[in-house]
Amino acid sequence: MTDRSIDRRVFVKAGGLALVSLGIDPIFLTRAAYAVRRPDGPANAKKTLICVFQRGAVDGLNMIVPHGDPSYYQDRPGIAIGRPGKPDGALDLDGYFGLHPSLAPLLPYYRDGSMAIVHAVGSPYPSRSHFDAQGYMESGTPGVKSTRDGWLNRYMAHERDHEDTPFRGVAMGAQLPHALRGSSPALAIDNLQTFGIRTRPNTQDRVASAFEELYRGSASGLVASSAEEGFEAIRMLQTANPSAFEPENGARYPTSAFGRQMRQLAQLVKAGIGLEIGFADVGGWDTHVNQGAGQGQLAGRLRDFGGTIAAFAQDLGPRMADVVVLTMSEFGRTVSENGNRGTDHGRATAMLVLGGNANGGKVHGRWPTLAPEKREDGRDLAVTTDFRDLFAEVLVGHLGSADLSAVFPGYESDPSRWVGAMRR
Amino acid sequence: MGFTLAFWALGPTTPGAGSPDPSMAAAIAGDSLERARALHALNRLTFGPRPGDVERVLATGVNRWIEQQLYPKATPDHRLDAALADFEILKLTTDDLAEMFFRDRQERRRRQLAMRDSAQSMDAAANPGARRQGQAPRNRLRRLTGQFQQLAVTRAVLSQRQLYEVLVDFWTNHFNVFLGKGQVRYLARDYIEGVIRPHALGRFEDLLVATAQSPAMLFYLDNAQSVAPGSEPPRLAQMEQRLRRMQTSRSNRMGTQGDRIRQAERRLEQTRARLPTGLNENYARELLELHTLGVDGGYTQEDVINVARVLTGWSANRPGQGGARFVFNTWAHDTGEKIVLGRKFAPGGMEEGMELLRMLSRHPATMRYISGKLCVRLVSDDPPEGCVAAGARAWEASDGDIREVLRAIITSSDFWNSELRGRKTKTPLEFVVSAVRAIDAEPDNTPGLARLVARLGQPLLMHQAPNGYPETQQSWVNAGALLNRLNTALGFAAGRVRGAKIDLTRVVALSDDIDEMLAGVNAAILNGTASANTLRVMRQQAEQTSDRRQARAVLIGYAIGSPEFQRQ
Repeated sequence: MTDRSIDRRVFVKAGGLALVSLGIDPIFLTRAAYAVRRPDGPANAKKTLICVFQRGAVDGLNMIVPHGDPSYYQDRPGIAIGRPGKPDGALDLDGYFGLHPSLAPLLPYYRDGSMAIVHAVGSPYPSRSHFDAQGYMESGTPGVKSTRDGWLNRYMAHERDHEDTPFRGVAMGAQLPHALRGSSPALAIDNLQTFGIRTRPNTQDRVASAFEELYRGSASGLVASSAEEGFEAIRMLQTANPSAFEPENGARYPTSAFGRQMRQLAQLVKAGIGLEIGFADVGGWDTHVNQGAGQGQLAGRLRDFGGTIAAFAQDLGPRMADVVVLTMSEFGRTVSENGNRGTDHGRATAMLVLGGNANGGKVHGRWPTLAPEKREDGRDLAVTTDFRDLFAEVLVGHLGSADLSAVFPGYESDPSRWVGAMRR
Repeated sequence: MGFTLAFWALGPTTPGAGSPDPSMAAAIAGDSLERARALHALNRLTFGPRPGDVERVLATGVNRWIEQQLYPKATPDHRLDAALADFEILKLTTDDLAEMFFRDRQERRRRQLAMRDSAQSMDAAANPGARRQGQAPRNRLRRLTGQFQQLAVTRAVLSQRQLYEVLVDFWTNHFNVFLGKGQVRYLARDYIEGVIRPHALGRFEDLLVATAQSPAMLFYLDNAQSVAPGSEPPRLAQMEQRLRRMQTSRSNRMGTQGDRIRQAERRLEQTRARLPTGLNENYARELLELHTLGVDGGYTQEDVINVARVLTGWSANRPGQGGARFVFNTWAHDTGEKIVLGRKFAPGGMEEGMELLRMLSRHPATMRYISGKLCVRLVSDDPPEGCVAAGARAWEASDGDIREVLRAIITSSDFWNSELRGRKTKTPLEFVVSAVRAIDAEPDNTPGLARLVARLGQPLLMHQAPNGYPETQQSWVNAGALLNRLNTALGFAAGRVRGAKIDLTRVVALSDDIDEMLAGVNAAILNGTASANTLRVMRQQAEQTSDRRQARAVLIGYAIGSPEFQRQ
């Protein structure tokens, strides 16, 4: 898998940056018969999906608060978010669920129907290890550890109608996340402004092409293909200068790492250079100690999270019709608070779908309740929606994916199980 | 700062002229098997060869050199020792560091409060002065933290005990702690100096116990605060007692003590609200998953809970209470019976935890998991079964002697398999350190090199999640990362890198003969491994400048930026 020198795409210069695929990974030759309906016409090249990974397992129960569930207040005496109307209380959504008060910037998007929430979503494989569970969620194959590529990369490799540019799949950060690894080219960029060869301006082209020659001629495998992608991207950035785009509509991003990542993803969207899959990471959710309630540790992280996503939506304005932000986290946290006013590793959590044709203004998914007998292993919010069904629904509903058998191998995502997070 | 490297074109390229003589290239590459073995040993068991290292290893004999590396104390380390004299972080006491930490924290809180007040009274944005006050000044602890990160790079660059430093890096990641989490910021110095380094080539069990009892780990993974449900520290009972005495005292009956009593009541309430009330599973889970058995080691959620119960009471004193030291709080310990991995733990206080760590150190899953991780570091991203099994067998035979496990892996045929040589990709730390070594630069005590490693994606001791930095190429190789490395390579060649004194004469002497310099750079930095294409591109670029200094810098920049140099 890591050696991509043989069946990789070959870059062909034809009117700028058309890339032609000559080969398909062997894994994708074996297609399952099942195919999902595709919307009219080919996949829309203008659509973008931004995945936000809350690494460290966010406490879904304090992010999307089930204030109507009596067990919630019983088992969280020190950390429960107050009922709506109380100081620092939840922001009511539907009389049963509420937003954490730090997510206030997202409330308007829920109210106007552009943000959907899915609760009790998670992995069918009951791992409480961060790293296994992240791996499963990113590979898209829960329970199978040997899968080395990610579901987003398999989507790109499989869906050939989208114009392939070096910026089709971009993760903000120094490392390419598992979800974007695989046979299809994908970029990891920690800073758009410094992406490229940094020498004197009048020598950049020469140095870049010398390095390109250096790698084209004598390297193979992942190192060579990464170099190739990098130099293609540099060339593209020379004409489209995404860093020049300032936030619009009065959007103000938090000055956090996550805020910077999302701001740059918005710049890539505006630059129109073919971003189809964007990926951002936001950490700090592993709240074993003093997670706080309406104020405190988790409240601070959610302020950054919600403020950034709201700024992103505001910045893109009408463009959000073609952009969906999908948030995810490897698992949720225990229903009961632990001995340190924190929470330990649990099972199901909550995810957000914002923009595009998201079926917003609703909390989707079957709510298993927090009643002790309904909990998984007697302690955790049970998983009632397989995360693959949500991801599949978004791929089909937003990107027009026609065949998911390669994206989630061995799993038939039956639309009858979809929670309805996207309007059909 | 050296001169600025100008990579501008000075004229058309002259292809073909003076391409390197293939027989000379072969001579540079060296065709002796022993030479290849020496280079491989240096690539994997050190942070990369310095100019002349291959010859030195050959002179000693490869096998003998490896044995020397396995017993590092016998190797003098004068150059490093001299450099360490400049590191203030090594001279301060834990209490010094703690004091800085708590003072800074207090100061920060005071400023935050002041800022909140001023934000309420006026528009903070319209008052930049108030904002500036809210920002933390460059404080001493922060500077020392940067120095501490640079220390790790400096040791990796300068130490003659290279395999030992490789192992220190390995265990630092295996038993990861995060400088960004509260008190870990000042405890990490003792953690590296007193826990990781003394045990890096010792017995695994000693290392495991030392980490389990280190204040840094106890705070990082929260075990310091994990207590048996319903337990209360003695100081709470003392406070209650004092309060009762005050309430029943004569002076109170006379009504003069009201304020003092209300104050004591409030303090008692606050203390009680801050106390832990039960278990915290964080350390218990990572102990099994990351430190010992591995995630597939066959434990259950029940085992995690029972491990947490066994370890209740394992905590740390805060500074001022006798330094930040391990303490076992009997009052916090769960005295019930526990079963972990089918084994019963009779009530035994702290000894239960010791027994648990002994059991985990000898568990077959631990042997395989950690031997496998060592093989990923030393042999291959996908290590063959042979070396993993050899390491596990040596572990069993030696009761977890890390040196014996290493020796078994290094002497296994898999380690020497020529098909696996040069196939691992360097991590950012390995890339930077190997470059500094290859050009024989002199690191200083400023955080320059550590910041460079951070810019390439690996800020040292700043990995938030407990699994530490990854080792395999799929984590580190991508287009953006590679471009950053190329820029770093140019930076080294241009003398633009901070944190080290660079003198390119140590790589190769200036010459008007480009081929001579090319051969010298290939020998010094790439140990003769440059491919024909790499040599061609290097030469082509060097020929475009008439200045021999620039030509040399160009050669060095492309050598460090070459695909060959990314691998080990």
